[in-house]
Amino acid sequence: MLEIAEKLVDETIKKGADQAEAVAFLTDNALTRFANSQIHQNIASKIGGIIVRAVVGKSIGIARVNSLGFQPEKEAVEQALRTAKLVPPDKHFKSLPTPKEWSPIKRALDPETADCPPEVRADAVDALISEAHSVSPVVKAVAGYISTGMNAFAVANSLGVSAQAAYSLANLSTTVISEDGGRPSFSKKGDFSRRFKDLDAPSIGRETAENSVKGLNPSKLSPDVYEAILMPLAANVVLSSVAEGFAATTWQSGASFVKHHLDEQVFDEKLTVIDDPRDPRTILAVPIDGEGVPKRQVKLITNGVVSEDSICYDSFMAVREGKESTGHSLLPLERSFEVPSVARTRPTGSQISLENVVVSPGNSTVEEMIAETKRGVLVTQFHYNAMLSVTDLIISGITRNGLFLIEDGEVVGPVMNLRYTESMLSTLKDIPLISKELNRTQGMTLPIIKVSKFRFTGVTEY
Amino acid sequence: MSFELGIEGLELASRLEASYSDIRIGDVYDRGIQVQNGSVSTAQTIRTGGFGVRVLVDGAWGFAGSTDLTSDEVKVITEKAIKIAKASKRVRKHNVELLPSKPNKGSYETPMKTDPFNVDTHDIIEVLMKAERTISDQSPLIKSSSAFFRAYKDKKLLLTSEGAEIEQEITWCGGRMGCIALRSGETQPMHYPDRRGRYCTSGYEHFESLDFPGEAERIGKEAVALLDADKLTEHKTDLILRHDLLMIQVHESCGHPTELDRVLGTEADSAGTSFVTPDKLGKFMYGSEAMNLVADSTDLEGMGGFGYDDDGIPAKKTHLIKDGKFVNYQSSRETAAEFGLEESSGGSRAKFAFNLPLVRMTNINLIPSGWKWEEIIEDTKKGVLMTQTKSNSIDDLRLSFLFGAEMGWEIKNGSKEKMLKNCIYTGITPEFWRSLDAVSRDDWLMHGSAQCGKGMPSQEMPCGHRVSTARFRDVRVWSE
Repeated sequence: MLEIAEKLVDETIKKGADQAEAVAFLTDNALTRFANSQIHQNIASKIGGIIVRAVVGKSIGIARVNSLGFQPEKEAVEQALRTAKLVPPDKHFKSLPTPKEWSPIKRALDPETADCPPEVRADAVDALISEAHSVSPVVKAVAGYISTGMNAFAVANSLGVSAQAAYSLANLSTTVISEDGGRPSFSKKGDFSRRFKDLDAPSIGRETAENSVKGLNPSKLSPDVYEAILMPLAANVVLSSVAEGFAATTWQSGASFVKHHLDEQVFDEKLTVIDDPRDPRTILAVPIDGEGVPKRQVKLITNGVVSEDSICYDSFMAVREGKESTGHSLLPLERSFEVPSVARTRPTGSQISLENVVVSPGNSTVEEMIAETKRGVLVTQFHYNAMLSVTDLIISGITRNGLFLIEDGEVVGPVMNLRYTESMLSTLKDIPLISKELNRTQGMTLPIIKVSKFRFTGVTEY
Repeated sequence: MSFELGIEGLELASRLEASYSDIRIGDVYDRGIQVQNGSVSTAQTIRTGGFGVRVLVDGAWGFAGSTDLTSDEVKVITEKAIKIAKASKRVRKHNVELLPSKPNKGSYETPMKTDPFNVDTHDIIEVLMKAERTISDQSPLIKSSSAFFRAYKDKKLLLTSEGAEIEQEITWCGGRMGCIALRSGETQPMHYPDRRGRYCTSGYEHFESLDFPGEAERIGKEAVALLDADKLTEHKTDLILRHDLLMIQVHESCGHPTELDRVLGTEADSAGTSFVTPDKLGKFMYGSEAMNLVADSTDLEGMGGFGYDDDGIPAKKTHLIKDGKFVNYQSSRETAAEFGLEESSGGSRAKFAFNLPLVRMTNINLIPSGWKWEEIIEDTKKGVLMTQTKSNSIDDLRLSFLFGAEMGWEIKNGSKEKMLKNCIYTGITPEFWRSLDAVSRDDWLMHGSAQCGKGMPSQEMPCGHRVSTARFRDVRVWSE
């Protein structure tokens, strides 16, 4: 693959580019989807292609060809060059990145996960569904998916960058629906790993089914400000919105909250967050970014404080501040098989992506969090979250797949879903407890987090 | 396109005991150019070729796709699809059935004057640059501005074991521009034609008709004016939604909940299910009598306009809501058969050839009534007019929603008074649509979303919404 990328770079330079960068990639994956307790969609796809970035003076053109079936090399080189010769110069551009020493991440590719047969996924689905239904006769339907496969890409440029990565991914997600005459109750759980055999499908099925049964016959709760225990999928939404503020693109536009809270105690001092591909707790074991620059560890939040060192750069944005890239240029392939990589476009200039966020654990358990709650809610997931204010990180969305009321240290029972409208900066200012157990979610490894105040603003009927 | 390779795949699938098979072969060109803060930030073309084979073996589906369109790969992928179908059968309670369909043979090409892929990059950049600079020049408070052009061409061949042979070439283009005004930590965005862009199945003439340079000054001025605009206190009032905001309301609270696969539970783990349960068909008052909604792939201006869907069903118009009553779902051959409908609505669509077809929106259009849009404002004593989507959120049953507008106007005694910012409105889908009492006819415009995500793996599907201005009574509004 590296040979293809290097050949493309040579070709682009020969045809008149001043600088050139090329990426060759392959994603080979499969996804077994189930609903109503049976497999209903079951697919596999093998997608390969190339991306060429041609630089003429300070003008840049990009072409991507997602195909192996015709002559993509010739087409991509010519198209990128043609575009570069037509567009005006990028006044900020100085150079593509120069080579930096990098090394592969050990055990990033698990061959069994990369080449998992459909029978193995089907049997895991079967075990999950059986276990879920064994919990109770009111378990009505089990849905979800299991995906397995591998991604690989190589990056080369005319200044000597030559790097590659190959990694496996496995993902399981399930939603269990229970019904006993009234409205259905939904519950959801998932897991990610580099190795399929790490995913414990039956126990995830059982736990999700148990929570689904517990969610039956919810009562109505008035919207108000409550203490909230944010389970992994809910905490992911809160912290993902915060993570967007660390991208150099947001920072330089002035829209990042970091700009307005430098070196302040903006979050609770218990909150420490890093981005590090070499942390064994992260899922995406990719040592380089989309420009072939080694990914560096960045301390995003240290004991609740953010600083200029929290910002993540690619080469394009770094040069504007006289800094070095931290290795955060967008990868050519998606971070999971939930999204097809062919749609991943690359801008001519910059696009920052944080793929390896790890939130430090605390020393609590969910049971202790519940015991310490006077009046609050346990939130499984937030759904359809809309950013209302970028600088304050005010988001509105709705709870989904299980919301439970807690009073005087005990779970009282399920409540109907609530709409929330809350500033993520405000809610993370006071975090009484963080779990010691970490959970693997999309792009982020994180604990369960309890916050003192979370503002709910609307009700639903289910 | 490679007709012979397709036939090879179907013949092999048949030999390997597939009771039904289809193969899609595609070649997609996606061209994007963006100007941002005085520089070209995107100038790229993406070409995506490949194929996908879908087989039914012993009542269970298997699907495999690849970007390597060669005879050897067609064999490998077809065998893989068969193997996957046999694995599916291990966890399958009911056999998949397809509604019978005449095997159509035909072709379709988007009508257009100027192919957007033949327009010189330099000429497009000139338009974008002029518009973007004009926006930026309105005020030093404008910290970020951009203008974007996109063109898309989807060439696809569908062959089925039943004998369908359909070749299509669908082209759409359009764009968006916008800016963010920033003062003391407060940001105000403003976009044109709307935040998602306006795209139509058309040639370059559609992009030209948007007249970016002519609208740019207004966009910049409005963003800055919003910094000094008033806020709404929370109350219930008459709400007038302009077409550029109504389109997302239709998309989220009418389009998605009437997709039959959601109703049947097959999207339960990702997008969600629907409040429009089977018992509601033909009985449920979704909205007021002023509400008439169709799924219409024969409306060729919209991005859901085509000759045939990915099941090979010819383009058609289906009433979903008639005089307020819910009368039909959006469906495919598989979901229509499972539910017991007499025919598919022709809503089976796949993003790329190597993606599985799913039930997707085509053009979901709200039919106008007798009003002119200015008459609706003149007829409103006290209310709020909201324009341009700023944010959108709705639950997984598509009941409880909250939408934000980039700009609002206080309406008093039939006229627009003061500008309002950070406007939000919220409601419950059927209650909201039952409060509809006026839909204008003179600004009935096609909007389109290029990025409606659904499925697993997620597929971004273009769809259209022809809508106008509409009034809803007694809606909860406020400013965040």
